[in-house]
Parts: sequence; C-alpha cells; structure tokens
Amino acid sequence: MNVKANVGATGAYSDAEILAMIDEKNGKYDPKIYVDEALYRLELERIFARTWICMGHESQIPKPGDFTTAYIGEDPVVVVRQKDASIRVFLNQCQHRGMRICRADSGNAKSFTCTYHGWAYNQGGDLVSVPMEKEAFGGCLNKAEWGPKQARVETYKGLIFANWDADAPPLDEYLGDVKFYMDIMLDRCEEGTEAIPGIQKWVIPCNWKFAAEQFASDAYHAGTTSHLSGIMAGVPEDVDITQVAPPTEGLNVHLENGHGCGLFLRNPMFYMTIVGPKVTEYLTTGPAYEEAVRRLGQGRADVNLCHTNVFPNLSFLAGINTVRMWQPRGPNEIEVWTFTLVDKTAPQEIKDEWRRHTSRTFSAGGVFEQDDGENWCDIQQVLRGHVAQNQKFNIEMGSHTVTADNPEGFPGLSFAYTYSEESARGVYRYWTQIMTAPDWDAIRRIEQRPLAAE
Amino acid sequence: MLDDTFKAAFESKPKAVSLELQHEVEQFLYWESKLLTDRRYKEWFGLLAEDLHYWMPIRSTKIMREVAQEYTDEQGFAHFDDNWYTMKGRIRKIMSDVGWSENPASRVRYLIGNVMVVPENENTINVVSASMVYRTRQERQLDVFACERRDVLRRVETEAGFEIVRRTILIDQSTILSNNLSFFF
Ligand code: FES
Ligand SMILES: [Fe+2]
Repeated sequence: MNVKANVGATGAYSDAEILAMIDEKNGKYDPKIYVDEALYRLELERIFARTWICMGHESQIPKPGDFTTAYIGEDPVVVVRQKDASIRVFLNQCQHRGMRICRADSGNAKSFTCTYHGWAYNQGGDLVSVPMEKEAFGGCLNKAEWGPKQARVETYKGLIFANWDADAPPLDEYLGDVKFYMDIMLDRCEEGTEAIPGIQKWVIPCNWKFAAEQFASDAYHAGTTSHLSGIMAGVPEDVDITQVAPPTEGLNVHLENGHGCGLFLRNPMFYMTIVGPKVTEYLTTGPAYEEAVRRLGQGRADVNLCHTNVFPNLSFLAGINTVRMWQPRGPNEIEVWTFTLVDKTAPQEIKDEWRRHTSRTFSAGGVFEQDDGENWCDIQQVLRGHVAQNQKFNIEMGSHTVTADNPEGFPGLSFAYTYSEESARGVYRYWTQIMTAPDWDAIRRIEQRPLAAE
Repeated sequence: MLDDTFKAAFESKPKAVSLELQHEVEQFLYWESKLLTDRRYKEWFGLLAEDLHYWMPIRSTKIMREVAQEYTDEQGFAHFDDNWYTMKGRIRKIMSDVGWSENPASRVRYLIGNVMVVPENENTINVVSASMVYRTRQERQLDVFACERRDVLRRVETEAGFEIVRRTILIDQSTILSNNLSFFF
C-alpha cells in the first residue's frame, strides 16, 4: 500500500486513489476522506454543486415574498416564494462586486437591494434596477445578464430542493427509492406535513459525512452505548435501564444514488422514550394510524423509526420527524440546521407534544443529540494525528447478512440485519464514484449493486 | 410573543424594591448558579417548581423592520422547552455515568448581573438578570454564552427561600457556536 508522507498537503488525488479509499469488499476504509482539504474542495464541486440539496420545507415560506436564506454546500442562496406560488433559489451574491444580497435568515421582501452600491433585485432575483444606470454605465449595462446564478428548484411532498447542475436528472429520479422511506414521514395523511416554525442552527467541529453516514446506517450506536443516557431521560424512573432491550427487528437498507436508511419494525419502545406516550399513541393506534396504514400499507405503517440520509446531507428520523441539513464548513466543521415536521392534520395537542419532544431529544440541547456531537468532535480531533489519519477504519458489520431481498418487500439495492453497515458501505462507495465522475453522464453510469453480498 | 405580563413589568424602569428583597433575590440566583457550577444537580433540581416552564427560544437574524420576530414564539421550535418532568429526565441523564456529553463533565461558570426585581405580589416575583456562561471541557473546548434570563420566582418555605416557576432564556447567539448545550442556563 502506498502511504504518501505528504498526502493532503499537495492536494492532489488520482481517481484510482480516491476509488481505493473505500474497500467495501474487505470492510475497510480510509479516514482521510474526513480531513483532507483537497478532497473537501472536490466535494463542494462534484457533490454539492451537482446533486439535489434540501432548502427546507414549503410551509416555511407560505406567502409571496417570504424568503429564507440557505446553503448549497458553502454557497449561500436565497429561497423565495414567488407571486405565482413557485419557488426560486438564487446565489446570494451580487454580480457587481460580490456582496451578499440578502442578509437576514428569513422574512418577507418585495425586493432585495444590495447594500454595497444599491443594485436591486426583484423577488425572483432578477436584476431590475442599477443606481445611476444611465450616467454611470452609459445605458449599456445589460441587466438581464447580471442577475445572480439561478438554481433548478423542485419539491417533493413539501421539501424544497435545489440543484445547480442543468444535466442532473429530475428530483424524482434522483431520489428514486428513498421516496418510499421519506413517505413514512411525509405522507402519513392526505394533507401531508407542516414545519414547526424555527430552524435551530449549531456548530459541530466534525466532517459532514460522520453525520450523514450515521443517519443513513448507524442504528448500532443507538442500540449500544451512545444514547443510554438519552433513553434514561425518557423512561419512567422506576424502569431499570439495563432491562430496556434494544430493538432487534428491522432492516439496514442500501439505496441507489448514495441514499441510505435503516428502520425498526413493530417496536414502538423507541418512540416512547423519544416522543413520549401521547405522540406514540397517535402514531401507532387510532385514526391517524389507520390512515397511515391505508396510505402506506401495513408494513410501512408499522415502521417505528426510520433513520435516513438523502445523499448528500439531508437526514431525518421518520416518526420522530426531526429533519436536518448538515451544512459543510470545511472538512473539519459542520453547521447543523434542524427543524421539526408534524402531520398537518394532527390535533394541536399532538403537534405541541411532538415539538417539545424533538427539542428535548434531537437538538443542540437534546438528550440524544448532545452525545452525537460529543463523539464526532473527538473523532475529528484524533484525526489531526498523522498516524491516526493513516489507519484504516472498520466498516464490515453485517456483511454476512446482506441479501438482495427482504421479507417486507421494501425497495432497495441490498438489505441487512438492523445493526449493519451495508447502507454505510453504499454511502461511501457512491461517494468514491461521484467524486471521480467528471459529469452527470458518468454519474449515471455508476454501477449500483449490492455490496458485501458477492 | 414573549411572555406579555412579564414584558409589561419591565416596560418602564422598575420601581426600586427594598434592599432586603433585592439582596434576597440576588443571593438566591448566586446560590442556584453555585449549585450548577459545583454539579449539585439534585439540589439544583430541588429549586424548580412542579409547574415549571424552562424555555429558550431560537433567535435568528432579521432586518430591523421585522426584528419583532427575532425569537421563535411559544408555538415555535426552541433550544429548550421543558417542564418539571422532562427536566427530571435531564437530571437523570446528567447524573448517570453514561451521559457522555457531560462525562467527563464540563466546567461551567456563571456570572450573574444586571438583576432587576419586580414583585407581582407577596409570593410571586419577576426577575430579569443577565448571565455569562463560561464553559470549558475536555482538553481545550471553550464556549462562552451570554443571555438574558427572565425568571418568575415563587416564595416557598425552604432554605433557599424561592422556587423557579418559569425561566425564559434569551440567548444572544443565533447559530449556537458550540457542539451542544449539555448543561443548564
Ligand atoms: S456589490 Fe452589489 S451593488 Fe456593488
Ligand atoms: Fe445518535
């Protein structure tokens, strides 16, 4: 194996070197994917600037002129509801001297005026007025050419996505089978979901892939040591925590296009400790549950928690309904942007409970999430070490249980036991492939298949 | 909307209260923060009323015209939105030896100042204070948080003299510049 003394410092990796970073057959991979600056710049170009990135939920900008600012990788964008109810997403950068056009997190605006020299943009981001246009530009500035870059925008059941790449497939095709699992959260009732107002943001000094992969694949940390104290915070005091058995029925699912998920079946125990008895009852019995059975089928209605990552950086826990975007901020840092979705037709009391419990469990102060941040910080710090960076990490869990089929009849490329890393192998293998694909034609040709099975 | 009764109490400069009451309230707040600094969580929890609401709304960046919407309201998402029972769960977590975000424990210091007291009646007292929270943990993590706290205190027959019925924490940061909020404000 060739270990280069100055790897990362030169900033250059061949395709072959990137492809070799994940050895899914032997269950090994190279932690330099988490720390290298050159790989990070390549991720911004080849992943974030070419794939569909979540901007938030439609209910966050209901009225014309409502806007939020968001990010596609490290590129700031403005997300604006138009008069015709469509949504525009444009680069938050004035093309005159590069100033940020919109400087608030959210609000309602008739237009956006650059604070530097006053170029003004309409709600759609078109440049409509330039101070002293005639005198200073002699009337030959073509305003139509100088608006900020516009992204493609599509929605899926309330979630807004944007994409810079004109050659990317439509959102629907890009999501593919992950829609089946997104629906567990988004499509339980006819009316769909709405977002609880407010996006919580905080900083974790770790690589974005730790978070994305964990939500795609890592039920193991929840079933073992990471969240023991989080569970403890949610069970009645007289319950002996050592007697709370982790769920064992479920699947780890490797999906196409780098998406991944894992789920527990027919075991509402986890719901109880996270969203409390009222929401658990709402989710698993009564009319809302029956509607979910009708819409999703018995199998999916009885999924009790589905952890999912939509490649690259949109994660959620269906059932708990915490949604988050892991915003990359260099190889060593992320901002977590999170909000809560609730069934639109749920009783107000249930919505309130849901909101209070996601804040209690999955937030910067959440009794579960506090401990995730703790792990990722330490991993990232250890990886500052030269020797530490040149170790291999183990990613072989559940290799022996991988099948192309599952008894539930759920869609996916391959399936494994609940506590497995088939989905993680999928995320990382896809990462190597998209990182070495020059364009969408090449990305389309990525061979998608079960990994550890052969 | 932040708590309206409370807001009204501080709409204009509060009337000076007796030095004794001011002193009593300040000593209570200092005692409370000392319990947290010393990690005496059970005793700190003992200062919380059973009808507690412990709430830290989310702050975001707004243009001046819309600055009234800077904080999420009571129907919005929050950093903390706890009652007595869920706080009890948090205490259970922080005192367990498997609460990794606080094991090894953070070192947390509170500087409480700008204490203004407005009694609502004999038993109920509205208090505004500013708090600087200085946290270090592990080898070199350092976090500093500043916030205004709006407390409703109730007089009780205990050694501490008061219990906290309501605490609203208005944190200055919009994006929380830390990996977690695993301690109390
Ligand atoms: S930079 Fe925007 S008007 Fe000059
Ligand atoms: Fe976790």
